Amino acid sequence: MTTAAEPAWLAGLRDRGRQALASAAMPLPYDEDWKYVDIDFDLDDFRPAEGPSGGLDRDVYLEELGEASSRLTMVDGTVVDIEAGEVEIHRSADIPDGRLAGLYGSMASPQVDVFAAANHALAPPGAVVAIPAGRTLTAPVVVDIQAVAAGAVSFPHVTVVAGPDSEASVVVLYRSAPGAELLISPIVEALADRGARLSVSVVQNLSGAARIVAHHEYVAERDSTLRIGEVGLGGLYARQRLGISLDGRGSSAQVSGIYFGDGSQVLDYRTHVTHRGPRTTSDIFLKGAVADDAQAVWTGLVRIEKGAEGTSAFETNRNLVLSDGAMVNSVPNLEILTDDLQCGHGSSSGPLDEQQLYYLMSRGLPRSPAEHLLVRAFFNEILSGFAAPELAAPSRRAVATKFAGAQQRAAS
Amino acid sequence: MSRTALRVRDLHASISGLDILKGVDLDVPFGEIHAIMGPNGSGKSTLCHVLAGKPAYEVSGAMAVDGASIVDLDVHERAQAGLFQALQYPVEIPGLDLAVLVEEAAVALGAGPEEARERIATQARRHRVERFLARSVNDDLSGGEKKRSEMFQLAVLEPRVIVLDEIDSGLDIDSVREVAGAVDEVRSDEVAILIITHYSRILNYVRPDRVHIMMDGQIVDSGGPELADELEDGGYRAVRSRLGIAAPRASSRTPKASEFFTDTPFDV
Repeated sequence: MTTAAEPAWLAGLRDRGRQALASAAMPLPYDEDWKYVDIDFDLDDFRPAEGPSGGLDRDVYLEELGEASSRLTMVDGTVVDIEAGEVEIHRSADIPDGRLAGLYGSMASPQVDVFAAANHALAPPGAVVAIPAGRTLTAPVVVDIQAVAAGAVSFPHVTVVAGPDSEASVVVLYRSAPGAELLISPIVEALADRGARLSVSVVQNLSGAARIVAHHEYVAERDSTLRIGEVGLGGLYARQRLGISLDGRGSSAQVSGIYFGDGSQVLDYRTHVTHRGPRTTSDIFLKGAVADDAQAVWTGLVRIEKGAEGTSAFETNRNLVLSDGAMVNSVPNLEILTDDLQCGHGSSSGPLDEQQLYYLMSRGLPRSPAEHLLVRAFFNEILSGFAAPELAAPSRRAVATKFAGAQQRAAS
Repeated sequence: MSRTALRVRDLHASISGLDILKGVDLDVPFGEIHAIMGPNGSGKSTLCHVLAGKPAYEVSGAMAVDGASIVDLDVHERAQAGLFQALQYPVEIPGLDLAVLVEEAAVALGAGPEEARERIATQARRHRVERFLARSVNDDLSGGEKKRSEMFQLAVLEPRVIVLDEIDSGLDIDSVREVAGAVDEVRSDEVAILIITHYSRILNYVRPDRVHIMMDGQIVDSGGPELADELEDGGYRAVRSRLGIAAPRASSRTPKASEFFTDTPFDV
């Protein structure tokens, strides 16, 4: 699927990807970053997606977002539509060698694992979303990543560059054709340049037979602010490696997210935060629920490099375990190579609070609506101040629907 | 004599094999305020929880609201039967707005959504909780504010039998007066109120029609408001010696963690 017209820099990137792919193997359960999950599929089980088939209709999230002024649509890894609006959006193959070309593929390394390598080696030309220096966007940029071809693996690649002192919100939406068994192995990378305030919200709303192994990598330059929101709802196996590198002095990253797994879903989050610059701050707060036989995994590694003095780093993960068959692995980890810092981590998993339930029922609410209120309250802590406020209402509804289904199955 | 709002007969309750209520009999008619007083560990809070239907207790005996047994009802069905319990330690629920809870509860108890919102607006003003409506239930509230929130919920939900468990604990004198005022406001011929307390402070502001003294899981004495005065003067020791009851042996049960955090010393 390499196109003949590919510029030399992109061909070079692809070559490095091919080399990495040649020496990469499918992960094994004892690989540090793949603990707690059992990968029961192989990249080779899926054929690389051919050119794009027809796209999907708008979903509830797109409805809520309305007419975004800037929109990038990809189907099966191929850019099918660009409405640049307030920003610049380029197909990677159209970018001349230079700064933007140098950033494309620079943040998510092909060496991380076989999926990242395969993306570098096999992805069709992706896209670069560039927010000009000093620009403040009035509406979110929507990146609509669709997968439709059953049996195929697709390799979307999107690079976001928020120019110095710009302010922007980007919504990345993953969705797939109902019932289609497929794999998505995307790379989304984002750079917040000096003083930029970049918000990226990711909604993973894949249908039930889809698998995704996503690499999301963020780099923050001096005095920039990253705000990352996560909503994880769909997929049979949905993994995201979320890497943040706080390179510039005074840069900060705040990650807050929710996920809800039911049926036999496995939702697998691996966060890696690296503090390189001094006076950098990070705060990760993820809340999830699992019902039926679902499994949720979070491993959070915060690494504070030598020289990152005056750093503050926090990570917290809280889980509701809503059935006996559901399971959570929640593992925070700190690696500290400097002395002058503040950091902390927290992790908890358990059922709904019986005291709270009793309180609500003593006010006249039957058990089921009382449980619904508590689940909603649990996620509200994240959603009430969500990075992209437009996404809160449909996420609340999605969680309520999933929980209602789980309650019904538990009762029958 | 008016209809009995709350009737309790030979009520026993145990938890983890430990007997806490050992045959409680009690009648509270509509239109009256009764107080149950007793030292810590006498079973007062257990009585509240057992009336409200909290799971975890082994229960036998009879309990009825307005003549209808509530023994076999689940917690929410007892609320729907007209019972309201204000808790000694109202639970904090981060992420759930007070207004949402009260509206959902009022609707569950049969109010129309419109009516529920009207009651909420009116009572929020009256109980000065407007500020808390859009905030999480009991989260980040002072002791007095939590009790005000409880009294506000009570006023919106319009119960017929009200059980106030240590509603005065942890409050300064102004807050006690305020809670007492709220109790007075809900007082009517259609409502019965049971105030559970281990000291008589709140009874200086809400005069009860009857006072019952609970010791070791039983009501050992009942009388008019003057019984509270006797307690005020001589403490439970005086009542014990008048009734010829031996002082309890040390630690007949393990105190709840919460009892270590009351604002008043143990008055054993």
